[in-house]
Amino acid sequence: MTDGYNTPPAAQLTDAEVERRRRVFGLTAEDLARIAELRSAVVDHRAEHTAAFFDHLARVDEGGDLFRRPELLDEARRLKEEHMVSLVSGDYGRAYIEQRARLGALFGRARIDMRGFLSAFQMLIGSIVRRVAELHPTDTVAAMDRVVSIRKLLFLDISIIQDVMIAEREQMILNQQEAIRELSTPTLQLRDRLLILPIIGLLDSFRAKQLTENLLRSIRDRRAKVVVMDITGVATVDSKVANHLIQTVAAARLMGAQVIITGLAAEVAQSLVTLGVDLTDLNTVGDLQGGLEEAERLLGLETRRIGSA
Amino acid sequence: MPAPEAVRVAIQRDADIVAARQRGREMATAAGISGSDLTLIATAISEVARNILAYAREGEILLSVESRDGRCCLQVIAADEGPGIADVELAMRDGYSTGKSLGLGLPGARRLMDEFDIVSAAGAGTRITMRKWAR
Amino acid sequence: MAVPILKQGPVLIATVQDALTDRDLIQLRDDIAARVGILRSTGVVIDVTLLDVLDSFACRTLRGIAETARLRGARTVVAGIQPDVAMSMVQLGLTLGATATALDLEEALEALMGVGEGGIGAYAGS
Repeated sequence: MTDGYNTPPAAQLTDAEVERRRRVFGLTAEDLARIAELRSAVVDHRAEHTAAFFDHLARVDEGGDLFRRPELLDEARRLKEEHMVSLVSGDYGRAYIEQRARLGALFGRARIDMRGFLSAFQMLIGSIVRRVAELHPTDTVAAMDRVVSIRKLLFLDISIIQDVMIAEREQMILNQQEAIRELSTPTLQLRDRLLILPIIGLLDSFRAKQLTENLLRSIRDRRAKVVVMDITGVATVDSKVANHLIQTVAAARLMGAQVIITGLAAEVAQSLVTLGVDLTDLNTVGDLQGGLEEAERLLGLETRRIGSA
Repeated sequence: MPAPEAVRVAIQRDADIVAARQRGREMATAAGISGSDLTLIATAISEVARNILAYAREGEILLSVESRDGRCCLQVIAADEGPGIADVELAMRDGYSTGKSLGLGLPGARRLMDEFDIVSAAGAGTRITMRKWAR
Repeated sequence: MAVPILKQGPVLIATVQDALTDRDLIQLRDDIAARVGILRSTGVVIDVTLLDVLDSFACRTLRGIAETARLRGARTVVAGIQPDVAMSMVQLGLTLGATATALDLEEALEALMGVGEGGIGAYAGS
């Protein structure tokens, strides 16, 4: 999901997990009762608290894309005011957590980082605390008790936002990895019935599996008869990778295609033999040029230089 | 219509093997599994179901969608009350077979799945539990 | 469900339409063995494009068909094994031995009839 305000999966908590989180932050029935008393201090001044948050972000230039994208900013302000209302609502179950997560996801999309968020949230807390103190101008202890109670809830909020931002970040990294993987295993059609698969970089088992799936689908979709797999760009071939190559070759053969492997370095070949990997099923040719000549021979074609006798 | 959470397929005839792997495919899809993993699962189910017919004559396959830490998996339990396997370790070795098959079935099924567990003793039947996780 | 077997010139074509039970597979093996003899066929194509699973039994039976046909003078080509099926066969450790394979029916016929360059890539294990 790149757009829309769906709840990110990281925040789809069960009731038991929500309960656990409340326990971790020590939110007791007594706290809830005190928070309920703060209704006027929070809700009546919600515009002011919200402004404290966003004005700070704007002032210190930590707002990411938020102030360049009015639609995000409007939505963020709206959700923040909503937050102020639900903060003293007394109901901190799943709906409350999901609301927090939605705002966290929006901050993630606006590329606000943890530093920016925390500094602004700290301003928001300050703004709330000032109004709470006004409720008990003479009784410092009572004011402090109420601040302690609502602070527990606010820190619980931070913990959720943090989870969401980390999850968004992880998802972004995963997407990028995916994109790199896709990029790095292209299947090229050199001519009718002939595919080339240059493999570059590290072959981990996940990528190896994906490479095999891509190759086998390409064989079917492009009706390939011969595939030249060039592994010059693969730094290390251990026995696991070698076995995977052997499996890929066997699977291609079951589909009716032949695989020629080129660019297997001498020392790699040596070490595979030492490891006892059986390479007899692999059709290997020294370099890519030799591999292509072999492929054309298999396809019944012959490359000839025009003009020479 | 939402997929049921668990399905039981009785294995008594060779047509039941086909039914078990078709149900397996459906349940795996419900668990969020896709692509080539569906074929791997169907093949693994085929092998354990075949094992039931070959050695115990009858038994059952239980399919269910399970989840752990927010991830889903298809769980396949193949259970029979047949003669059981005296030496499980030996039976799980590639190429070992006491029956008519090539002895690829169980070790092969293990390679196709993410988790594989077998409990058996001579005279006490066999229970195989395998899982494949959604990626 | 029985597998229909068509005769096209010297070649028999068996197209698997649906998931096969063990009984269906054995029936197919016996049918092909009988027809190769009666029709004096020189080639057999088993088209498995629609098969979504080829397990150890199916694989062994296909090899059995190819071997029986060979002893009776016909070459067998298994056509249309799908990518996912090929991958799971390999992971199971299954092979078709010396049985030829082809991408699809057209390729298989080409390989058997010797049209074009005839059957390159078709012979596994050679």
